[in-house]
Amino acid sequence: MKFSRRDLLVWGAGAAAGLVVTPVPWKLLDDTSKWSQNWPWIPQPARGPVQVKQSACTLCPNGCGVKVRMASGWPVGVAGVASHPVTRGALCPLAFGAHQLNWHPDRLRTVRHHGSPASWDDARAAFAKACGEGRVVVIDGYPGRAASAVLEAFAERRGEYRVVRGAETRALTPYEKWSGVPAESFGYDLENASTILSFGAPVLDGWGAPGRFTRLWAERAAGQVDPLMRIIQIESLLSRSAGRAYQWISIRSGSEGILAAGIARVLLQEKLVKTGGPIPEVTLDEAALLTGLDATAIRELARTIVVRGPVIAIANDNNPSVAALNVVLGAVGTRGGVVRRSKTTKVYASADAAIASARAVILDSSVPWNFVPQTDAEVFRFAAWNGSPTKTDWFLPAPGFLEERTDVPTAPTSGVETYALAASLAKAAHKTQSCAEFLVSVDPSLSSAEKIIHTRCAELFHAKRGNLHSREETAVAKIASAQKLEEQLWSGAVWLGEPASGESIRCALKQWPAADAGSPSDWTASWAAPVMPPLASKLYQESGLRESQRRNA
Amino acid sequence: MSARYGMVIDLDRCTGCGSCMVACAAENNVPALPQATARTGLTPMLVRRLSNGLEGNLGREAFIPILCMHCEHETPCVHVCPQQAVEVDAATGIVMQMPQRCLGCRYCMTACPYHARYFNWWDPSWPAGMEKSLNPGVASRMRGVVEKCNLCHARFHAAKEKAAAAGRREIDAADYIPACVEACPTRAIRFGNLADPNDPVAQEAHSANAFRLLARIGTEPKVYYKSDEAWVRSMAEPGEQSGSPVRSADNSRNQSEVQHV
Repeated sequence: MKFSRRDLLVWGAGAAAGLVVTPVPWKLLDDTSKWSQNWPWIPQPARGPVQVKQSACTLCPNGCGVKVRMASGWPVGVAGVASHPVTRGALCPLAFGAHQLNWHPDRLRTVRHHGSPASWDDARAAFAKACGEGRVVVIDGYPGRAASAVLEAFAERRGEYRVVRGAETRALTPYEKWSGVPAESFGYDLENASTILSFGAPVLDGWGAPGRFTRLWAERAAGQVDPLMRIIQIESLLSRSAGRAYQWISIRSGSEGILAAGIARVLLQEKLVKTGGPIPEVTLDEAALLTGLDATAIRELARTIVVRGPVIAIANDNNPSVAALNVVLGAVGTRGGVVRRSKTTKVYASADAAIASARAVILDSSVPWNFVPQTDAEVFRFAAWNGSPTKTDWFLPAPGFLEERTDVPTAPTSGVETYALAASLAKAAHKTQSCAEFLVSVDPSLSSAEKIIHTRCAELFHAKRGNLHSREETAVAKIASAQKLEEQLWSGAVWLGEPASGESIRCALKQWPAADAGSPSDWTASWAAPVMPPLASKLYQESGLRESQRRNA
Repeated sequence: MSARYGMVIDLDRCTGCGSCMVACAAENNVPALPQATARTGLTPMLVRRLSNGLEGNLGREAFIPILCMHCEHETPCVHVCPQQAVEVDAATGIVMQMPQRCLGCRYCMTACPYHARYFNWWDPSWPAGMEKSLNPGVASRMRGVVEKCNLCHARFHAAKEKAAAAGRREIDAADYIPACVEACPTRAIRFGNLADPNDPVAQEAHSANAFRLLARIGTEPKVYYKSDEAWVRSMAEPGEQSGSPVRSADNSRNQSEVQHV
């Protein structure tokens, strides 16, 4: 059969028409899109049995209750524990990506000496040599843990123990000075406060334990025209706390102490408070000039805050004027004010950046990166993640998130004592050691943190006070043995003491503190961005949240 | 009976902390790629700042989490998809995005009036070892596809499996809570079945101060917002000139009416 030109045209037209209706090209396109999603280099999650374990977060000293989803033995998700008596299921944004922190590109994976890789034995030998040659200063950023007790015991034998306090604890140090009661034993009874006067404290932006304050605010204040809890935010910028507060008072940056003095002056002169106190030297007109507010506005503010009590003033950092305002308001040692939650806490010596006459300085991984010791001594620094370059001779890799068995004492701002244990849920991919473990390896006569935890659990059991919160609340007195108590704590339960009794605290405030009396140490002036989970870094950057945080810091 | 899952987000309770964003990304294995920017990153849940535009002590601000609105009526992305990669699930009302079918034409991104869809520009990757921390319930997606909020559909499947194992047809409401809802520290984001008149979320969706973004275009979103402040509510239906708040924020990332957080 001859294939004519006409046949060719007919065939061509038929093929073209057929191509339009045939599913083949579409099917090929569809398949291509499916195949292109199954390339071997695309990481896929590991399969395996999923378990949920409870623990306590160790990212910061607030110790929030975390529910960790585990697959194939690895943490794959973090959420809050709804039954936690303090945080009530809330966490900070960083915690939701914290299970990825252990693989952060900035993770410290090897011992480093002056920038070069070294071994643990080298570090131990160098530290042991330094201990034999002179005094050692041990610096801790999270006192109260069993690991801190190890650090303290070592320092008692070899030198001295110093504590770097966080901003929230530093805000409580004036009361320590005036009453002799350790700053670490104070907390805020926010649950019973009706007016909160925040002097720049980021109360709705990461201050205190995340769930405690945000839940309280959501229940008693958010969106209400006449809220049960009024937050008056005094701040120079429209921060997130200022934006959501009942009232935002914009003042000149750094004039918070002056405003506190101005308010106190009005309160005392107009006898708006029952308690007495030294009248601040600053006049109302001077306060107005320095803060950028009208004298009338300061007077009105003082009159407004006393209408709805209890009133509590919260400072962002060590600000004795704000603390003195609390004394004038009668908010120290009273319900809804600054309360003493514990009678067993010790007074710790604060660390100063300038360290003289020491042979070695050892810093626990809880010490913030922006604390840079000014010293000629040999510096050993434990850290899970690499921070900015600082004066450090030895970098020693510490356990990361959920890699260490540790205890979690009461959060800095809490009005009630708590105790929890954080089990080790993740395996470290490389050799890590905590500062406490390192010190025990240098001086084996020290008790290990694990033994101290064991003793603390036994003490809690024998004291028979407080309740244990897991899925249910159980009085410690009803728990069968100390071992059972410890087992429950390791499986995620949290011990909660009795609420503070509102015991009166005598503050010897003879004269109004000078305006610059509480300026923070030099080392706190330079704010350094913390190591954040990659996910949080990405989202904060893409949303501009990081910029907002820096502005608020 | 088919459900209609939706949300009510109380903007008066939102502090803009970003927990919902991080929890969403962690749950859905969104990679943290260093090359991603505000225009090219994947943010199925994105919190934005609203400002009343006033200066000094009169200035007020609020935060608005933006996610897929799960439009019930004439769902724009469904209509334009040439691959049937988007569909409204009849049983749940969830607007499902199926990356396996997606060709990456991005018609849906153009059609979405809320700009809640994101194009996956790069192969997903994580720092060495971090793939161990991925959620096993959600597969990672290839570059070249569009992504968006699926209301944590993996959690819905898990709840269905749990119900089936217990011999039940209906899931227990407590078993299906999206990650953002679980993460919100102020409980500003509430989730429920809008088709159930007894559901507190359905009741809240019909409260006086509840509203939806661009309600006038008739897409019937299943994400409701709520605020007692009139200036916040007014942001939902801006004038014709300024366009939608979502659109204007996306087109110019620094404009004053609605800013990124």
